[in-house]
Amino acid sequence: MLGLFGVLNMGARSMGVQRAGVEVAGQNLANVSNPAYARQRVAISTSITVQSEVGPQGTGAEAVSIVSMRNAILDSQIQTEASTHGMLQAQQTALQYAQAALGTQIDRMATGAEGATAAQGVGGGHGLADSLSALFNAFQSLSANPTSMAERQTLMMKAEGLASQFRQLDSRIGSLSNQLNQTIDSEVITVNQALANIASLNDKITRMEAVSGGPANDLRDMRQAEIEKLAKFVKLDLSNGSGGAINVAIAGVDMITNNQVVETVETYQVGNKTYIRAESTDAFLDIKGGSIQGTIQARDVALEDVRASINNIANILIAQVNVTHAAGFSLSGSTGAQFFTGADAATIGVNTNLVNDPSLIQASGVNGATGDNQVALQLAQLSQVEFIFGQTLTQAYGQTVATFGQALSTVNNDLANQDTVDKMLLSQRDSIGGVSLDEEMTDLTRFQKAFQASARLITTVDEMLETLVNMKR
Amino acid sequence: MRVSANSFSDTLINQLGNLAVRQARLQSQAATGQRVRLPEDDPVSLRRALDLNSEFSSTGQYSRNIARQLELAQASFSGIKGIKTLTDRAGEIATQVDDLKSPEELQFFAKEIAEMIKQAVHIMNATNRGDSIFGGTMADRPPFVMTLDANNNVTSVTYQGNISLAETEISEGVTLTSQTSGENNTGAGARGLVSDSRSGADLFNHLISLQNNLLSGNIAAVAAVDRGNLANDESNILYHISSNGAIQARLEATDALVRERGLAIEGQVSKEVDADLAQTMVKLNQTQTAYQAALQSGARAMSLSLMDYLR
Repeated sequence: MLGLFGVLNMGARSMGVQRAGVEVAGQNLANVSNPAYARQRVAISTSITVQSEVGPQGTGAEAVSIVSMRNAILDSQIQTEASTHGMLQAQQTALQYAQAALGTQIDRMATGAEGATAAQGVGGGHGLADSLSALFNAFQSLSANPTSMAERQTLMMKAEGLASQFRQLDSRIGSLSNQLNQTIDSEVITVNQALANIASLNDKITRMEAVSGGPANDLRDMRQAEIEKLAKFVKLDLSNGSGGAINVAIAGVDMITNNQVVETVETYQVGNKTYIRAESTDAFLDIKGGSIQGTIQARDVALEDVRASINNIANILIAQVNVTHAAGFSLSGSTGAQFFTGADAATIGVNTNLVNDPSLIQASGVNGATGDNQVALQLAQLSQVEFIFGQTLTQAYGQTVATFGQALSTVNNDLANQDTVDKMLLSQRDSIGGVSLDEEMTDLTRFQKAFQASARLITTVDEMLETLVNMKR
Repeated sequence: MRVSANSFSDTLINQLGNLAVRQARLQSQAATGQRVRLPEDDPVSLRRALDLNSEFSSTGQYSRNIARQLELAQASFSGIKGIKTLTDRAGEIATQVDDLKSPEELQFFAKEIAEMIKQAVHIMNATNRGDSIFGGTMADRPPFVMTLDANNNVTSVTYQGNISLAETEISEGVTLTSQTSGENNTGAGARGLVSDSRSGADLFNHLISLQNNLLSGNIAAVAAVDRGNLANDESNILYHISSNGAIQARLEATDALVRERGLAIEGQVSKEVDADLAQTMVKLNQTQTAYQAALQSGARAMSLSLMDYLR
């Protein structure tokens, strides 16, 4: 038998349990808008059982711990998917910038230089495809009017416009590549900061749990949020450390062991491209996910392909036009002059002698025959020659744009799919660990009523004790 | 499934976000009339549209080339017609001359022929946009140069052009010239207008011969030689008139084809990139309705909680 004093103690313990329940419900309500927070529950257990004349008898209840409602598998999946999402997001951002830099879109409302309301380039309707067509059309016009200075001047303007467009395009892609390098630089700083934060949280968690004996739920929530933040930048390999710590490795290289940051990442340059490696050992980090990898992939694959392809088009155009033009004769009979200068999209220019004096354009195939147009016609017909994998130069540019567009379109689709996966996982996690106002309010009421009932138990025992004491009179 | 306080609002935000993106895309399609604008929208259609645009641009240029060739053909025809008029008159004179004509009359005829030769040289040296029409590709100089004697009679007319003709592309891979060279005695290539070895035409020398025979009163030579020669010249000019007409007809027919191709390309570009407006508007309405429904149901559901009933 507990006796009246035992029941009094049981009531006091019960009030403590209900108070703890109210406190946890209050903590949950306070964190209802905290995305890193997982709801908590008081784990209540029956107190020890004692022997009595009528058999084993309960001694009430006690709060044994505060449990965080987390699912380790979901947390792990969300962290892994964060890397994939980060990689795709970074690729999409980089490729969308590149799409703008490419400056090719279809604007059916625009009116082209020749009054055509069909596909036009952006930036005033002067995409590279249009400029290539304009150059070849200018050669055609010259072939139809080989002695016309007006046609010669027009040709020079179109050629200079095209050369300028090639240079601008190369420069834009080059600047974008540099901006992506800077993005990697700044993300590496964030990665190192996140590693330091996780190690610090590991330290706090191990110390707190060693002292209290229970899980440091709020610190663990903060660490999980920090891990997921880091996973957006680089793919992580996690393992359990000692005393509740989590060890972090990137591409097989240990970064955090227990509460120590044992390695950090740094950037290094290969040519004009930035990559990352382990800072102290200079070990190459073959990262497989995260925004840094996405940025590197977009820069080194899609952007590099576009740049190489445009350079190839510029290179072939320069070489073919020059070799054809050099064989011709100008209005004054001069020959051998180059039409374009430079060798690629970055350096292409138009021979300034021809710009200053368009009569020096070598349109004629016969010295002295100013009305001859053989070379002008050959130059114009270069537009129909399939130089690159069975495609003309204009078609090759279209292919470049389409290939690039396909890469971006694929990333868009992948990211949309990834968003669905992310939302489903987050929804699942939310259904386990998210705070429900209705539940918490119900709990508050429940614990409040239980607290009142426990208080009434004490009041009852008090009255019984008073009755007992008053029996002596 | 357990629904937390945030999962409801998060889901609503996601749904509204998706509907907003869809609305924005459909609104953009409705406003521009285009389904494809950027490479990412539909790379394959964009590629086809770029190729079609390039072809469209070429057809525009072919039309301009055809217009230029038509202009040249018409300028040539004008010259050929002038030469025809002169050869007709020269033939008349050669036919009129007989023993009944007095020496003075023959002198007058000779004078007229001399002036006709000068006129013919003038016609043959005509230019279009500063270029000689009948000098082949030697466009920067008069094709014919004549020399006169002390009595202002023509003693010779020499050709300083060439037999090359500048061909222009009028559709893909098809070139054509509406130029006519003044003289071609090589026996190959396009016929010369006033002198051609294959047809026996040599207008200037035949006119000079007529002029000289009239001056010398050699009526027999006029009848025996000059009349026949002039007939050859006329026949050669008639060949050029019909040839010029055929070229102009071909140019006009090609121009019509090129323009038709241009219109067809516009239609093809439209099929590749334009939006089906009716379908777009229906989808836009559906999306707007769904957006409104999401907002209304969300607002209604979120306005209720257990706290409304607890005291």
